Amino acid sequence: MANPVRDNRCGLRSAAIVKGKLELVLNNTLAAIEDGSACMLDFLDRSALDESTQHRLQVVFEELVSNIVRHGFFEHSGQSIHVKIDHGPGTVKFVFEDDGTPFNPLAAPAPRPYTSIESAKIGGLGISLVTKYSSQLHYERPPQAAGGNGFSPQNRLVVTVAIPD
Amino acid sequence: MEMQHDDLGDVKRVVLVGRLDTKGVGIVETSFGAAIVPNGKNTIVDISQVTFLASMGIRMLISTTRALSRKGGKLVMYGAGIGVKDVIETTALTDLIPLASNEGEALSWVAR
Repeated sequence: MANPVRDNRCGLRSAAIVKGKLELVLNNTLAAIEDGSACMLDFLDRSALDESTQHRLQVVFEELVSNIVRHGFFEHSGQSIHVKIDHGPGTVKFVFEDDGTPFNPLAAPAPRPYTSIESAKIGGLGISLVTKYSSQLHYERPPQAAGGNGFSPQNRLVVTVAIPD
Repeated sequence: MEMQHDDLGDVKRVVLVGRLDTKGVGIVETSFGAAIVPNGKNTIVDISQVTFLASMGIRMLISTTRALSRKGGKLVMYGAGIGVKDVIETTALTDLIPLASNEGEALSWVAR
């Protein structure tokens, strides 16, 4: 497995493998998407994943990190996203925690089926994609107590994606 | 993210290269719309070199196609790779924007 630590990238605050899981801390910037996604694929060993699976995992990562940075965080704040990635048999499990505005993305209504280009709504597509690519999806508000590192998560989203063995 | 465009007779051809993610859309969205919408020509979009597509890219494609349709033009995509095609099918984007397998098919579809 390639070394996933890329702490010189501006989107990535830290990366470490703890008890076999990749733990990322991402900064409040859209660069976190590209930097974190690259670490994820290194950790999962991209050469062992088919093209479609790699793409789906990147879509899940992109949509959720992008959503938090664009809608959950204050601009230029020091808020962060903590991501744990666990590669189990036939699955990749993500735990996304952030200290942004409390928000349950799963409570948003699913996009309505398209009927015409003129009436097509373009909001909610990202969460809809994550939902369709996930085998399990769960949101919760974590207990409100700051961790030893001062990080006090307001949102926790657990996403499991089935992958070919 | 890069983009080139030219004219094939009465049809505009646009070639997208790279990742249509949040970052890539930020780079290319304005020039994509500017190349397609103002003259209202039927347009084919080569996405065979698009290596990644997520919701921001879909939003760009829908909003540009809508603006073009208001000028009487059609837009057809072609050449999607495996991952990109998976996203297009999962989001039912083809209900709004046809996806052809190659340039010849795309040209025949915009001529209908």
